[in-house]
Amino acid sequence: MDFLLSYLVLAEIYVLLGLSTNLLVGIVGIFSVSQAAVFGVGAYIVAFFLMNTSVSFLPALAVAAICCVVLNIVVTLPSLRVSGDYFVVTSFGIQLLATAVFTNWTGGTGGANGLPGIPPPDVFGIQLASNAQLALLTSIMAGLGCIAFWLLMRAPFGRLLRAIREDELAVAAAGKNVLRAKVSAAALAGAFAGVSGGLYATFLSFIDPSSFDLDASILLLTMVVVGGARTLAGSILGPFVLLALPQLLSLVEIPTTIAAAARQLVYGLLLIVFMLFRPQGLLGEKL
Amino acid sequence: MVALQLFVNGIVTGCALGVVAISFSLIYSTLRIFHVAHAGIYTMGGYVAYSLVMHGVPDILALLLAMVAAAMAGAAIQVLLYQRLAARKGTHLVVLIASLGLLAVIQNLLAAIYSANILQFPGAWSGEIVNLGDGIRLTKVQFLTVIVCILAYIGMMLFAHRTLLGKRIRAVASNPFLAEITRLRPQAVYVYVIAIASAVVCLPGVLVPYDLGLQPYGGVTPLLTATIAMIAGGVGSITGAFLLSVAISVVQNLSLLVMPGEWSIGVTFFVFVIFMLFRPTGLFAAR
Repeated sequence: MDFLLSYLVLAEIYVLLGLSTNLLVGIVGIFSVSQAAVFGVGAYIVAFFLMNTSVSFLPALAVAAICCVVLNIVVTLPSLRVSGDYFVVTSFGIQLLATAVFTNWTGGTGGANGLPGIPPPDVFGIQLASNAQLALLTSIMAGLGCIAFWLLMRAPFGRLLRAIREDELAVAAAGKNVLRAKVSAAALAGAFAGVSGGLYATFLSFIDPSSFDLDASILLLTMVVVGGARTLAGSILGPFVLLALPQLLSLVEIPTTIAAAARQLVYGLLLIVFMLFRPQGLLGEKL
Repeated sequence: MVALQLFVNGIVTGCALGVVAISFSLIYSTLRIFHVAHAGIYTMGGYVAYSLVMHGVPDILALLLAMVAAAMAGAAIQVLLYQRLAARKGTHLVVLIASLGLLAVIQNLLAAIYSANILQFPGAWSGEIVNLGDGIRLTKVQFLTVIVCILAYIGMMLFAHRTLLGKRIRAVASNPFLAEITRLRPQAVYVYVIAIASAVVCLPGVLVPYDLGLQPYGGVTPLLTATIAMIAGGVGSITGAFLLSVAISVVQNLSLLVMPGEWSIGVTFFVFVIFMLFRPTGLFAAR
């Protein structure tokens, strides 16, 4: 039961993060492999506030969200001047840079050893220590995220974002402000990633750079792609499927030394196979 | 004195990176694919050579065989993956995600076979010191890297401008549609291009690890730096890509005077942002 609950909590955290990636990659069509970096920034900020100050969880989460909004906008800005593949470079660069910061800034992030002993979240004075309580919190957060995403997709703004993906020039010619729409989407994606990062840090009570590296970004992209890009259902399904996968893999006899590589290998294979045979994923729209 | 040594080191790394940039640029300007998996080919070449050397194959022969293996792997990628995606009218994003998946597969396959630890090439000659006077020292393999990579640059220039296949490649790159109706067979050219680029990238792919050791995840940072050099040099310009690679590496090495090496990715990225803001088309833009 406890195992199922922690699976649920983790999956819901990744649902929030998946929504962030889906918004950028699926809806607006901006390829991003740096969402794990933004996720990490959120996690480290919340960890910092909970461990070093008397600030409680929700304000810390708000600060993390705001920082990630700003960060995601800054990350997106240089590539707004030039589109397409230049964003890939930016995105890879940000991811590698963030990993360098997480690993080498020992004062702030604990370096490669990570930060142990992050206290559990408290909401309105109540400490949420048990998995059931945490599951309730993440369910509420993920639920809010999903509702926000759903409303956004129905709104004119959602249609504008999808139109930008299909034909940016036409949208600009129709008098819409493409720049503002992209920046808003990036901001929203940043907020989602920041909040999920904060939840992640407090749930695991330990964070280290390996949770926020390029591999993590690839896992995240795999979640969105397998679940199905561009739809809410896909972003919800993907994390649940992908997080169950390591359990399935543990049934196969793999030496522990190569288990991590084997897992990552499977994610890569999934990306290729889905792109070849079912780019829309399990529950998505045509990519 | 230290500065001069760092400058020379920068030239060494830069020449190696320059060849990565040229080969990536060849693929990018012809196939219009952001071939992220090229980093995997780069790493794979080193591991193939390592295995051969460990089985007693002479170093030169190991390098040549690694190039052949990489060329075949590259051709296979084009025929089995990119061509199929093109046939299915896969969008740019789909191809990019598939390429990223392929990178994950190659890297983790290598990690699973050879372990994720750094491997050192055997071979006593490579560590021998060449004294350039004034106390500037290079190892023999570094010296060789510079010569081979400059020769590779000259070779690529001659190939692109003097040979029939080189001209055919440039024709396909500049107008695939016209190339199709004049029976230059773009599809075949694409296979040649990716095979040639994969073989060429093995030169630094083998020589650099000969000096610094092999690591399965070691290809991403060089490729990122090379892509930044390609963009800053102007997409499509061989000379631009090569010169900017050298320039970026020199700046990166000189930055060691004022900050620790962990942050060199930050320096690279800073160069990229400057170019994005002030000269997004690059220094040697073709058009």
